[in-house]
Amino acid sequence: MNILEKITKSDENNSDSKSNIQKISLERLRANPIPNSKNEIWRQTNKSKFSRFLDFKFSNEFYYPPIPGHANIENTCRIIIGENRAINLKEKNWAIKELEEQEILNFLKQKIIQSDSTQNWSNLLNHFLTDKKNIVGLNISGTAIPHLEIICNSANNVLNSKTLVINIEEGTTVSISQINIGDENSALSISSYFNIEEDSVVNHGIISFGKDKSHIINSLNVRQFKNSEYNLGSLQFEYDFGRLEININQVEGNARTNVKGIQITKNNEQISTYANIAFNGPNGFLDQLNKSLANDKSHSVFEGLIIVPQIAQKTDASQLSRNLLLSNFAKIDTKPQLEIVADDVKCMHGATISQLNEDEVFYMRSRGLTLEEASKLQLRSYYQEIISFLPISKERWDLLALLLKDK
Amino acid sequence: MSLIEINLTQTMVNENLVDNIVSEPYKYGFVTEIESEKISKGINEDIVRLISSKKNEPEYLLNFRLNAFKKWKELQEPDWADLGYDKIDYQDIIYYSAPKQKDKIKSLDEVDPKLLETFDKLGIPLTEQKRLTNVAVDAVFDSVSIATTFKEQLAEHGVIFCSISEAIKDHSDLIEKYLGSVIPASDNYFAALNSAVFSDGSFVYIPKNVTCPMDLSSYFRINSGDSGQFERTLIIAEEGSSVSYLEGCTAPMFDTNTLHAAVVELIALDDASIKYSTVQNWYAGNEQGVGGIFNFVTKRGKCIGKRSKISWSQVETGSAITWKYPSCILIGEESIGEFYSVALTNNLQQADTGTKMIHIGPKTKSTIVSKGISAGHSSNSYRGLVKIGSQAKGARNYSQCDSMLIGDKAAANTFPYIQSQQPNSEVEHEASTCRISEDQLFYLQSRGIEFEEAVSMMVSGFCRDVFNQLPMEFAAEADKLLSLKLEGSVG
Repeated sequence: MNILEKITKSDENNSDSKSNIQKISLERLRANPIPNSKNEIWRQTNKSKFSRFLDFKFSNEFYYPPIPGHANIENTCRIIIGENRAINLKEKNWAIKELEEQEILNFLKQKIIQSDSTQNWSNLLNHFLTDKKNIVGLNISGTAIPHLEIICNSANNVLNSKTLVINIEEGTTVSISQINIGDENSALSISSYFNIEEDSVVNHGIISFGKDKSHIINSLNVRQFKNSEYNLGSLQFEYDFGRLEININQVEGNARTNVKGIQITKNNEQISTYANIAFNGPNGFLDQLNKSLANDKSHSVFEGLIIVPQIAQKTDASQLSRNLLLSNFAKIDTKPQLEIVADDVKCMHGATISQLNEDEVFYMRSRGLTLEEASKLQLRSYYQEIISFLPISKERWDLLALLLKDK
Repeated sequence: MSLIEINLTQTMVNENLVDNIVSEPYKYGFVTEIESEKISKGINEDIVRLISSKKNEPEYLLNFRLNAFKKWKELQEPDWADLGYDKIDYQDIIYYSAPKQKDKIKSLDEVDPKLLETFDKLGIPLTEQKRLTNVAVDAVFDSVSIATTFKEQLAEHGVIFCSISEAIKDHSDLIEKYLGSVIPASDNYFAALNSAVFSDGSFVYIPKNVTCPMDLSSYFRINSGDSGQFERTLIIAEEGSSVSYLEGCTAPMFDTNTLHAAVVELIALDDASIKYSTVQNWYAGNEQGVGGIFNFVTKRGKCIGKRSKISWSQVETGSAITWKYPSCILIGEESIGEFYSVALTNNLQQADTGTKMIHIGPKTKSTIVSKGISAGHSSNSYRGLVKIGSQAKGARNYSQCDSMLIGDKAAANTFPYIQSQQPNSEVEHEASTCRISEDQLFYLQSRGIEFEEAVSMMVSGFCRDVFNQLPMEFAAEADKLLSLKLEGSVG
């Protein structure tokens, strides 16, 4: 049974195996089973790829993913969502606690009630599909915090769904890597919620990489309170259909947000990033950079929206979209948007689309490098800006090697 | 007096200024009492036929209108723009209103003197005595073109400048070939409506290798409150020719919203260049947002020829709502498209404006400079598309849109759409938002420049890039218009 049938067919859904959360999500989804394709955040979506995503059979089974990179590194806490074993956090005296089940459910319920069926469709779908086993909720506080590594994966021929809820208590500094691994011909739905309390610093990295015909819809929802700092680095590649939704809300302003992301497409892939950053208080700061690189017949999409209402005076926000188009058949769509009401603000955005700089290539070749080496070197520098921003040791994942292996 | 007190007094003075300026009446808000011929309200196929028959149009044009009307009925009013307004009742509009004329006018002396008085009030050099201004004018009053000046002189150079109804009679072949070739009737809701009911407008034809000896200008005036204005402008520049065209608009004050849905089509062949400048000052409604013109205009130019160039420059200060995207389709190799815009909104005005640059041919270039100024409770959006097609090798675009916010209740939005399918091309977009800098203001004031003048200077400086692109007379007018509309809204 594919996802749409699951949503529209009534019989199975009334069964008791479904949690309350799943039921109310379903109710919302029924009214609007697929998002309105006229809506800006779905307009560019490749319909056939999206329907393929929906055609996968849903499964809540856990498959242990092949994890590349080096195995063990000190002071790292690895959680694989859905893995059927209790997460042992106490063992090392780490200041990470699992949230009570009821706490998580109440939180999600609130979110579902508030969500709009087109804007937050990805979250609704996720909450409808995810069962308790695939939800992880954490509370982080104190000082003895390891590097957190959270892995979500999808298995061959099925659609998996995972939910992550993290609360970061006042005055905590933490770095979290979220690794999404797509198997061949698979689909993955992820919704993550970060609640960052006052005076906290979160360094967050999202690395999504698939294999042949992997699909992913990844929704990230962040709420930032006063004096908090949120740094996000994201890297998406090798997804036939990849979609990252970033919603960041500076609830009281007075917070700092840095977002740097890169998406790399080739063959016939489509990867899109939708960022929505809202300032609901004064003195907010944002620095966002989104890079994309499109080769072959691929399609890369970036849409960013910065919302500055009247209350958000003295906001300083900048957004830059830099794109490299490497082939005659590839396509790049970019749309950095500003919606501003407050008058005492500094907002800027910019976008460029071009190809690799010929002068630079020429220079390197005149110094004896081959064309291939020269363009590799250029790409390397293009990636490096984002990779160095990720809160993850390069040794562990060797991302550049992963990225450059067949370029 | 302590420093704080001085500041307080300053603020109070500023507030008074705001009041003064807000109460500044709309200069062009008079109605001319003139007998006019109107048809009954509403739109249906018979009305479309009636308009066509009133103008003795050939068969193909009637079909063009009927076709457009059919398309219009199928289309839906667009709602994607960032605008809010009550639904327009299209059956409550008079689609044809013409000053009554007994016979065909042979010279300006025969035109109703009241009408000429109106144009005098507007400061339009309609009478031939004002020859010195060297601008040929086509004045469109409500829906009908009243008079076109300098016709003979232009004819010497082979330039055709007349109302579109005359062109339909005298240059039917050109109309048949080009009308609707840039903006097909089915293009969008308002273009379809215009194609069905357009009553008049201007027509310009510049023959091969002719540089038009003077600037051409048309002046649009809506006079009655319940009739829509649907004019159509068609400009054709043959190989190697060039022309500069100016457009101005005013309307009287009415409590009702009047619809203005014009279509402008430009065609530039090899090496031709067209410069189209607009100063739009339709009535914007009062401070409560009652009345004002809905300005829903489709403007598009096609650079068909190699090395052709189309340049749009506009100063948008009027209208309750503006929905307008002058665009360029760059087909010819090395053709150039330009868009320079200043949009100012105050009180409850709303503007959603921008441009589309569609690069199809190789080595095409486009420049976009847009300056938005929002004051009061108004909202001002830039919405633009830059599209680089897969054949547009070596295409280049540069866009810059800056917004200035005056007061903390105005909104400025930027929605740039950028699409590229050609690696050998470069697209750059930049946008910034700021407000009038207090430091600069303080500096100017400390040098003895009055507050109002200082603001005016800064706004003028902010818009400089665009004003530089306007023809001389227009630039001066635009500068004045902006200061008039805006000064003192900072408080």
